[in-house]
Amino acid sequence: MYRSSGFIAFLLRRLTGIALVIYLLLHMWVIGGINSGAEAFNDRMDFLGKPIFRLLEIGLLAAVVYHGVDGIRLLIVHYFDVTEYRRSLFYAALVVSAILVIAGGLPILLFALE
Amino acid sequence: MRSGDWGFVGLQTHDSPEAMYMTTNGSVPTVTIRIQRFNPDVDKKPYWQEFTVKATQGKTILDALHEIKEEQDGSVTFRRSCRHAICGSCAANVNGKNMLICDAPLRDHLDRKGRVTLRPLPYLPVIKDLVVDRTTFWEQYLRVKPWLIPPENIPEREFRVSPEEVAALRNAERCIMCGACYSSCQVVALNKKYIGPHALLKAFLRVLDPRDSAPRERLEDLDRGDGVYRCHTIFNCIDACPKGLNPTAAIETLRKLVIKRLAFEDARRERQRRLDQPIEIVGEAPLLSGGE
Repeated sequence: MYRSSGFIAFLLRRLTGIALVIYLLLHMWVIGGINSGAEAFNDRMDFLGKPIFRLLEIGLLAAVVYHGVDGIRLLIVHYFDVTEYRRSLFYAALVVSAILVIAGGLPILLFALE
Repeated sequence: MRSGDWGFVGLQTHDSPEAMYMTTNGSVPTVTIRIQRFNPDVDKKPYWQEFTVKATQGKTILDALHEIKEEQDGSVTFRRSCRHAICGSCAANVNGKNMLICDAPLRDHLDRKGRVTLRPLPYLPVIKDLVVDRTTFWEQYLRVKPWLIPPENIPEREFRVSPEEVAALRNAERCIMCGACYSSCQVVALNKKYIGPHALLKAFLRVLDPRDSAPRERLEDLDRGDGVYRCHTIFNCIDACPKGLNPTAAIETLRKLVIKRLAFEDARRERQRRLDQPIEIVGEAPLLSGGE
């Protein structure tokens, strides 16, 4: 295995992408509950109202944010000649993601602990 | 010939090369070299073998391998030829990084435990020990037609190419085909149909060469799922290249040119009408080797 910052970025991008696809399928299953009537939909929503799922939403936020910020990083690489700054760009993507996840995750955490 | 003597002939000011790198108590430090051994005819899976060599000054990892092969275990197998970092035979994985071992001083590549770990180039089939099968490497290389396709109207004297046009090639002509970038690429690891950074760098060199007359055909060949778009911009090729070249930037340039290949071909035809005319240099001429 050839380890490098670029490989870690690639791996994280792939893993968050797969996580988002799995989330999307679950999301469609929950929303699709409306087809079975209001009661079935409410049951599924009640099930997802547990604190554990609210905490998992922070994970979802982290996956969405990192995947998006990494996409912006790649767009910068595609449109500008910045391969020289490849490591700095990766660390910048991590820091920006971390700030956004903390900023968005704190309210979710407070809401989950209510 | 005693080990470690080569490279000092004519330069020696001490009694022995060992004397040039002695610790204060007069002993020469030793280094443990771990080599991943594998002989597919005998072994079921690769195993590690450790050797100890003296870390004399100026000794490269290749010198150490020669010493091991001549004095300790003649069955250790590796490729090497020129010992001057220009043939590309001796590329191997040292402590997790691909490099030319003839160009790597032993003392500069010790890990935290003071050892040097040698593996064959990753993601390629092992023939024996550090020797890998480079068949796919050369097949993909031939796929991009790495030779120059000259124009019909070859000038009577020389082709005239401007310093800016040479600088735009970003030294891609210095590639020595060692395979360090190809075998560091995780996309190659997952998909051997991918052309690979080495061949794309060569395609970049030919496409941007003002003397080449088939840029559109070349770019069309690259406009496919296992061509320029398969690169996932992991940058391992840049880190691995022992010549400091930039295959990722070359691939990004090719991606842009693939889209506007028709306009690019027209511009090339226009340019080739002036191939035998003197180049007008405006202002200070950039260095021919510029554009890192």
